[in-house]
Amino acid sequence: MISAIEQIGRFTLNTSSSVGGTLLFAARVFLRMFERRSYNSASIMVFINQIYFTSVQILPLFLFVAVIFGAMVNGMVFQLIKKIGQTDYLGRLLMGFVVTEISPFVTVLLVALRSSSAINAEIAVMKVNHELSTLEIFNIDLIDYLFVPRVLNGILSMVLLSSLFSLVVLSIGLFVSSVIFGTAADAYIDTLLRSASLLDMIILWFKCAAFGFFITLIPIMLGMNASQELTSIPVAVLNGMVKVFSAIIIIEVLSSIVRFI
Amino acid sequence: MRFFESEEELQEKLKDFITAHKSQMGLVSLEAPLISNLPVWSNIALIRQYHQNMSWHEAKATVDGLLHRMGMASIAEKRNPALTKEERFCAMLLRAAMVQDAVVVLDKPFGILTNLRDGHFLMHILHKVDDLIAEAHIFDYSWAKERYGVTADAED
Repeated sequence: MISAIEQIGRFTLNTSSSVGGTLLFAARVFLRMFERRSYNSASIMVFINQIYFTSVQILPLFLFVAVIFGAMVNGMVFQLIKKIGQTDYLGRLLMGFVVTEISPFVTVLLVALRSSSAINAEIAVMKVNHELSTLEIFNIDLIDYLFVPRVLNGILSMVLLSSLFSLVVLSIGLFVSSVIFGTAADAYIDTLLRSASLLDMIILWFKCAAFGFFITLIPIMLGMNASQELTSIPVAVLNGMVKVFSAIIIIEVLSSIVRFI
Repeated sequence: MRFFESEEELQEKLKDFITAHKSQMGLVSLEAPLISNLPVWSNIALIRQYHQNMSWHEAKATVDGLLHRMGMASIAEKRNPALTKEERFCAMLLRAAMVQDAVVVLDKPFGILTNLRDGHFLMHILHKVDDLIAEAHIFDYSWAKERYGVTADAED
């Protein structure tokens, strides 16, 4: 019994220490994002490269998934709406469910699978190879040069890719609605605009930004925790990805609470 | 040149030296490798881009000029694993020389240039960049003195 209580206590302490450490690190990086000295020719170059790796290289896969997913979701939504005869809810369903819930979620999964794991491994390898200490020897601040560009890229990429995903899904919706209901394009767009709520959009952008922030910050932090041994790299990546997915779930739940309660 | 009997003594003195010259430190050492996901030119240009906010066009042109001066223009786009020992050493030296009023420290250079018997290449390459650096110091073991052509015990 005492052993069980000790284990619960240890787990609680470890979890709260881990969450506290993450939030503290998040606060440091977040504040540094607003400092002028974080932006120089070197960090801007890193930012541009990161945007290319995260938002441009992913496009073929991303568009393919968006088209397949859009066709599937729209097909189901329109068939359902047609069956139950509630066409008034079409816009609300597309804007409230597909745009504000599905698009950011699928986007964050794709970006996390591709970029978070890459960032995690990259930082861990740099740590093992003494490249991080090299930067410090040359008085290059790791937060300014490595972390801020990656985190900014995460935020921007998430907002842009999620918007692109929504655009593709809604465009497919336009096609499906004209085939199933024979709806004109302007009527379809009008339905969507009438169903769009500013609050939902603000929550959506904040959610995308939070996703982008944490799915880049956590891999950086866990990559930094690697030791000087090569065997610590897979462990760092594994721990990082588990925490990234925990963060995704927490942000999703928090955004739903804000939106619906 | 500074020679030491043991690894511990060398590391301790080197650490003190780095701390004392932190803002001008240009270290050439196995402990300060090139960044593996950047090409050579970017590794060298990084110092001025970061500290002097030099545009990447200007930084690239500066580095290209320096690599040309060293006779190594062809390594600009190569990454660390693709470099020979001499090329790697030159890239690390140029990176160190990019620091403003650089105090360049060569930490056991024969640990990087393992294929060399003496310090001729080292001195030759240092002369090529002497206009860029304020001071150059070599930290090595006492038993390596002969490789530098040093016979006296006194530090230079």
